Amino acid sequence: MTAGAVKMSRETFFALELPYRERIALERAVFQGGGGPRVAVVAGVHGDELEGLYVCHRLAAWLEDLAARCPDALRGRVELYPALNPLGLDTLQRRVPIHEVDLNRVFPGHPEGLFPHRLAHAALRHLLGAALVIDIHASNIYLREIPQVRIARAFERQLVPLARQMNLDLIWIHEAVTVLENTIAHSLNERDTPCLVVEMGVGMRITPAFAEQVVTGILNVWQRVGALAPDLELEPATHAPAIADDGNVHYLNAEVSGIFVPTTEHWMAVGRDELLGRIVSALSGEVLAEVRSPVDGVVFTLREYPLVYEGSLLARIMRTGSAR
Amino acid sequence: MSARESVLLHMTAPMREDFAIPYHDLGPREERPRLALVAGLHGNELNGVFVLARLANFLAQVASGDRPEARLLARVLVIPAVNVLGLNARSRVWPFDGTDLNRMFPGYDAGETTQRIAAALLRLTEPARWRIDIHSSNVDFEELPQVRLYEPGDEEREAARWLGLPAVVERPVNATFSATLANAWRERGGHSLVIQAGYAGGLQAAHCERLFRALVDFLEGSGLLVGVRLAEPEGDVHAFGVRQSFPMISEHAGWFVSRLEVGQWIQAGELVGYVYDGFRGDLRAEVRSPHSGLLAGIRRQPLLCEGDLLARVLTRDPVGAMADTYLMGHGQ
Repeated sequence: MTAGAVKMSRETFFALELPYRERIALERAVFQGGGGPRVAVVAGVHGDELEGLYVCHRLAAWLEDLAARCPDALRGRVELYPALNPLGLDTLQRRVPIHEVDLNRVFPGHPEGLFPHRLAHAALRHLLGAALVIDIHASNIYLREIPQVRIARAFERQLVPLARQMNLDLIWIHEAVTVLENTIAHSLNERDTPCLVVEMGVGMRITPAFAEQVVTGILNVWQRVGALAPDLELEPATHAPAIADDGNVHYLNAEVSGIFVPTTEHWMAVGRDELLGRIVSALSGEVLAEVRSPVDGVVFTLREYPLVYEGSLLARIMRTGSAR
Repeated sequence: MSARESVLLHMTAPMREDFAIPYHDLGPREERPRLALVAGLHGNELNGVFVLARLANFLAQVASGDRPEARLLARVLVIPAVNVLGLNARSRVWPFDGTDLNRMFPGYDAGETTQRIAAALLRLTEPARWRIDIHSSNVDFEELPQVRLYEPGDEEREAARWLGLPAVVERPVNATFSATLANAWRERGGHSLVIQAGYAGGLQAAHCERLFRALVDFLEGSGLLVGVRLAEPEGDVHAFGVRQSFPMISEHAGWFVSRLEVGQWIQAGELVGYVYDGFRGDLRAEVRSPHSGLLAGIRRQPLLCEGDLLARVLTRDPVGAMADTYLMGHGQ
């Protein structure tokens, strides 16, 4: 299948047998343009995160259009991996079904290891050496996230300049966490394949406006790394990111169990002591707790799932001097 | 000395009654605890929960003088189930948000629910000189009752033998292990052991009996309990290093059928089981162990994916690069 100079293909790059007839196949879509840099987008590592699948669809549609309209503008090669955990997606499970393992905790994997390790190893092997990998996550079913890039402190210097082009509102630089050494992003970055982790939206849903924002960012970054022609006209990035780190991010956890009803909205500026929501009882008219902002800032994580236990995360706020 | 029921943590729930995570505080309470026994971090690992409940009953009888031949000389904490909601809901993880309690350590008092539970458990158990965390594997795989040590010191190696379990296995410390209770204990000094016994989702009576006796033997061996005489142990204790653990992993999918029992010694080339095609039913493979050794684990789930664990053999000699350093076991 070719369109102009762009060769478009859909490939199964790895498969494992299931007990009865079926198999798990990992698929990718490849858009081969010129001999320039190779870039990749990864999604669906968690089976309950769908936002990245839709981003892949939007990118594929854009690339198909480019191939028809202006094939020479694809200077490099684009690989889309929308579903690294296909059985999880098809059975609505976050983890790798049967094995109950979080796929993003078994990288770099092993070719002769257990089932999830083999999946991880196959994915990593195909992604290594790319000029840029973007790994898209969609929070979970409990929390909604403003589109953001998360970067481990160790990779800050290489990744922040790329992340700034991503048309997102926030870059969160976090300190080292040992268990995160088994993520796909860490495994790529420590092997000199730059990988940006995008968190956006909420689990089990898609948020088309966020997807369009991220697509614009991805195209701009691809142009910057040379996968797209420098003179190709793209929709310009309109979002400039704020930088968060462990020093200016505040977590709000429920102090009591009940039903959380927010009174604020996502990505809203809030003042210190401002009411963000209430935890209420279903058995009475009682308000069990009021949730107030500890600082002046912006809400970049907001609870989507209303039931809360003591300790459930309700919101994350980035402290600001002048909130938007 | 008296037995008391105490509460690790009391919490509200969204729609149920408030709930508590209870534990047994046995022996002289004014003393610092000498031993902390923990099970049920995973709610479907029942062997440890049952055995600790039974052991607490036994120790309470000793402490109250109902067994005059025996004396409990030190304070012992027994927490049969940490993941109480998971136990009642038959779930390995914390059922509300799917988090694994044994990936939440050291925890955080102001954090997520499971971080709060982890922090409270660590605070309670850390002062004990000896701490033991008891697990089963997952629902698919049966483990011979065995001790697991993570980069241990000589005192832990010695103490592991007091249990009298047939295998003491040293394991590497990896990134996944970093968030476990055993690692949080390890980082805080003191002496910690992990026990694996059986498989999740059910009780295996023979493993439970062995585990009960092992814990009583440990109490005797450490001098915390005197005057209890149990039957002589069944066999020797064997120690295995990090490269003496060989996982047999299937290259085929289908049905796996085996008649072997954990605890057997097998020879290199010995038949472990058969793999049949899932649909056609024809024999796809005879599974044979490439190494001689102690069969420490066997698959109990017949449905088999490519890349599933079939068995684990503990070998007398190191078996090189295939030692399962990269297998992040479910049980711990």
